[in-house]
Parts: sequence; C-alpha cells; structure tokens
Amino acid sequence: MGPHSLSTRLLASVSILLVLFFGITIAALDFAFRRVTEQAMHDRLEAQMLALISASEEDSSGGLQPATEKTEERLKNPGSGLYGEILRSDGYPSWRSNSLTGTGLDFAVQLPPGQRQYRQLHRGDGSPVRALSRSIAWQFDNGVTRTFIYSVAEDLEPYYAQLNRFRGQLFGWFGLLMLLLLGALAFLLRRLLTPLRRIEREIEEIEAGRMTELGSGYPRELLGVTTNLNALLRGERERLARYRNTLGNLAHSFKTPLAVMRNLLNGTQGRDLAVGRQLDEQVGRMDDIVKYQLKRAAASGGTSLGTAPIDVRTALEALRAALLKVYADRGIECELVVAPDCLFAGDRDDLTEVAGNLADNAFKWSHGKVRLTADRLTDPTARRDGLRLIVEDDGPGIPPDERSRVLDRGTRLDERVSGQGIGLSVVRELAQLNGGTIRIDESPLGGARIEIRFPAT
Amino acid sequence: MRVLIVEDEKPLRDSIVEQLQQAGFNVDAAADGEEGLYCGREYALDLAVIDLGLPKLNGMELIKKLRAEGKSYPVLILTARDRWQDKVEGLQAGADDYLAKPFHFEELLARMQALLRRSGGWAQPVLRCGAVSLDPRTQEVTVNGRRVDLTSFEYRILEYLIHRAGEVISKGELTERLYAQDFDRDSNTIEVFIGRLRRKLDPDDSIKPIETLRGRGYRFALQRESAA
Repeated sequence: MGPHSLSTRLLASVSILLVLFFGITIAALDFAFRRVTEQAMHDRLEAQMLALISASEEDSSGGLQPATEKTEERLKNPGSGLYGEILRSDGYPSWRSNSLTGTGLDFAVQLPPGQRQYRQLHRGDGSPVRALSRSIAWQFDNGVTRTFIYSVAEDLEPYYAQLNRFRGQLFGWFGLLMLLLLGALAFLLRRLLTPLRRIEREIEEIEAGRMTELGSGYPRELLGVTTNLNALLRGERERLARYRNTLGNLAHSFKTPLAVMRNLLNGTQGRDLAVGRQLDEQVGRMDDIVKYQLKRAAASGGTSLGTAPIDVRTALEALRAALLKVYADRGIECELVVAPDCLFAGDRDDLTEVAGNLADNAFKWSHGKVRLTADRLTDPTARRDGLRLIVEDDGPGIPPDERSRVLDRGTRLDERVSGQGIGLSVVRELAQLNGGTIRIDESPLGGARIEIRFPAT
Repeated sequence: MRVLIVEDEKPLRDSIVEQLQQAGFNVDAAADGEEGLYCGREYALDLAVIDLGLPKLNGMELIKKLRAEGKSYPVLILTARDRWQDKVEGLQAGADDYLAKPFHFEELLARMQALLRRSGGWAQPVLRCGAVSLDPRTQEVTVNGRRVDLTSFEYRILEYLIHRAGEVISKGELTERLYAQDFDRDSNTIEVFIGRLRRKLDPDDSIKPIETLRGRGYRFALQRESAA
C-alpha cells in the first residue's frame, strides 16, 4: 500500500483527531482533579487552624500557645509536614511548632486583624508548602485584647505525588483506550476496503490476461463501477473483433474486383490491350495501398486488456510449419529457438502479422537457412516481461544504406512503386503500435537479421 | 489434370476457368462452399483452388471438411484479407499454399503446377523419366533431347502418366481426370491416343515408355530421375 492510500489517510486523520480529543479530556480532568485536591487541602488547613485556636491558652509572658495535650501530634514531630506558628503583634513568635525545627520555613506575615490569607511558601530546601494565615483579636482574662497571627502550613510534596500518580493513571488508561480505538478502526478499514483491494487484484489479473473481466459479488456501492468496467472491457474486445471483421469484408469486396480486373487484363481479350501493362500496374498499386492501410487499421495497437498473453512458441511453431509447407520446394532449414515461458502481452494477430511478414521475407531471400529466435526482455520494475523477436536468414541481406529506406517504404503513398513489397514497413508500424522497435542488422548466417523489441511494461 | 475452382465472384471464376482450360486443365467450378464441398467429395480431383471468403460454407471450413473425409489432393487457397493469421490457419486446416488477391494468372498457374508436381512426388520443375523429359511450364516434351510435337490431348495424357510415373492408372481414371464432363467418354479413344503417343515418343520401339497392363490400365514404365 502506498503512502497515500485511503486507509493510511483515514488512519492518520483519525489519529490526529483522537490525540486532540483525548488531550482536551485529559487537560480538563487534570484541572478538575487539581481543583478538588486543592480545595481538600484548604479545608484541612482550615480545620488545623481552628483546632490550634481552640487549643490556645494564655501563658505567663502574656502570649498564647496551644495546650500540649490538645496539640495535634504531627505538630510536635520535626519534619512531619504539618507546621504551625502563633505570632504576636510585635512580630515575635509566641509559639512555633516543633515540626518547624530545621525546616527553614519562615511565615513572615503581616495581616490586619480579622483577615486570612493562603500563600505558597518554600522551605529552606526549596520544597513547596501551602500556608494559611489568619489574624485574630484575643481577649485575655484580664480584659486586655491583643492581636495574634495564626499560621498553619502543609507540605505540598504528598499532594504533587498524588497528582502525578493520578496523571500517570490517566495517561495510561487513555493511551490504552486510544490504541484500542485505532486498532479497531484499522480492522474495520481493512474489512471495508477488502472489495477495493479485490478490484485492484482482479485488474492486475486482467492486465496479465489471466482473467477476462471482474468477478461478481461486489457490494452495492461498487457494483456501478465493476459492471461498467466489465461492459467497457467486453465492448472493447467486441469492437476490435467487429472492426476487423468489417475490414476483412472491405478487403474482400475491394480486392475481388481488383482480382477480376487483373485476370481480365491477362485474359484473352485483355492481353492484346495497348494499355494493358499500365492498367495492371495501377491494379498493383491499388492493391498495395489497400493492403498497407488495412493492415495498419486492423492492428490492435496493443490494447490487450482481458486477453490472455500469447504463447510465443505455439504461435511461431504454427508459422514455421505453415512456411515450411509453402516453401517445401526450396528445402529450407528453419531453426526455431524460443526461450521458456516466452509470452507476448498483446494481440495474436499482431504477433503473427509481424513474425509472418519477417519470416516470409527470410524464407523468400534465404539460400537454405532461416532462424527464428524469441526470448524474454526482463525489467525488475515492470509488471510484465517484454519480448525480443529475431528473424535471420542466409540470403543477400539488406545493405546498411538501404535499411532506413526499406522501413519507410509505404509511409508516403506517392513514393511507392508497385511490387516493391510493403512487408517491412507494415512490420515497423505494427511493432510501433505495440510499443516496440525494429532494427535491421547483418546476421551471422550471412543475410539479414531483423530484431523486434517489445519492452517490458 | 482435373482441378476444382471454388470462387463466388463470377467474372473472376469464369476468367480463371477459361485460362486454366486453355492451359490444358480439366476444370470444375463451384460458386459457393456447399457446391464446392459436393464437387470436392464427388469428383476425382488432382487439385482444388479455394477462395477463403465463400458464401454458405467458408473456405476454411470447406478445407477442414474435405481433409476430414480423407481427401488428400493439394489445396491452394485464395485470400483477399492477406492476414498472416488467416494464412497460418488456412495452412493448418490442410491447405498447401496460398495466393493473395489480386494475383496474376501466371502466378496461380505456377503455384498449381508446383503443387501438382509435389503431390506426384517430383522435386524438380522438369519431370524426367529415362530418355523422356516433360516441362509443365512450357509444355515441352523431349526424348533424348529431341523435341516431340504433341497435340493438346496427347500432352495431357502424357503429363498425367509421367506425374504418376510408376503407378498403374486405369482407363476410367484417365477418362475422368482428362475429359471435360460432357466429353464423349468412349474408352477406345484413350487407346487410340495412347497408341499415337507411343509412336511419337518411341518411333522405333526402343524405349517402350508406356506399359499396358491388361484389364488394369497403363503405367509409365521409365525410371524417374531425381525423384523426391
């Protein structure tokens, strides 16, 4: 599957959406959890504050301190994480909890009476604490009223630890959920795209010629595509067959009168005609024009969808047998060398026409030896192998300076001379229509060597 | 030599028939595939020329049917389509050669003569038996290099006998292959012609080219040279 396949695109988009959605959810949950735990901490600090105030009693120096037996245990133990302080209005502490010992925590607070304040403070080692301070007016037994600032504080470390545990669980569960969702989505996509993949596979089969059309049983949404594609494939094949049939009829209905004319010209009445020879030449020219144009028109041009590739050996063996029969008198030796699994990914008529014209020429010119060779042209990047076809003889060959002229013969009708033969130019046209090239050379046998290459596609 | 022409285009058929008759053939003609099948089945033919594009029964099918029935005389196909696939299929179906329309009559005649020669087992264009040689292309007959003048009918009998040199040929077969259908089929006529041939080829009765096998027919008795 390529980088831009439907399922990759969909999976990527859905992943982005999921990350966004879960991100927002996680942020909202985190925010709510922090609010709740912060509120719980404030409530705890408030309760400690009230307990401290209610435990307070006057001391001998005119200050306040909590009664030992009523004091919270944690305030008595150094480094317990809960801290307390009662500050006199002159700035001197009236009482500091034992737990403050060695913490380096300084409440350093100034508050107008009746006020309260939450603050974030730091211990001497930098770790954060949450502190609540409250300023109250205390009426002594002797009727004097003095202002005191009460402070309580709690370490934030346990709070952060709890928050981090919570976050860890949150990410863990949501991550797992996301993976599950993506997995489920990928699975659904695979199921959903199965028919499309089947189309892809079947089209490959059709291209390779192993199937003639798409199978049945596609889901309703794809039936429109598959039935129309099948109709197109069938239509194309039928059109070519009909077209060739029409051309065949045209050739027949055109050439039969030419044959009549030629026979009349050579018959008893025609033989004595003064212009008989010229007329006969014109008949030959008309025949060549028709032959050349019809052969070009009947070429399939390599549209081979849905037709099985042609087994080159079978086709060449049939051709060889046919030519040996026709040229039986000449006693020609025709060697056929075909590589295994040699296939022509095109039309049988085109292959036979190309090979037939070349081999016929070779038999015609040969002194006794003809060689037909076919092998595969491979290309690792191509879907189908190409074909190389070589026809050689031991005849006179084609001189280098004539080679291009021989191939062009027939392309310009007004330059044509009757009887020169249009075989090679037809071969060139057919080869080109099938994406092939033609090359004329000299054969080790001594005569012409014609090589046709249909590259791998 | 008796040949069949199956061609639906009347002017072409008539023209071929006329020229073949002039060339000394005993010609049957059929205008469509079914008629061709009838003639091909019923007549003792030496060769058939069959157009591929025939009404009623196409040429390819006609050839297949004749071959399936064991008819082994050579078949030459005429085709207007001139596609190699057609030629290959035609030759696979049992034809021996093809000729694309439009053709020159000389070309047709040469191909027919080559096929006839091959079917008689001859590899060379000139048929030589001992002192006698016959060239179907020029219809020239020589004995020991001396030219022999033959009438058209004498030539036809000799050509047939030499083609099948070594085989016994009955009078009936000779009559059937050499006479046109409406000709007087008196077997005495054949005897008369054979007698004349012997006198012309062998005036001093030294080489004895034609043997008579009582009750069975005739045989060209001289040994073939360069037979295939």
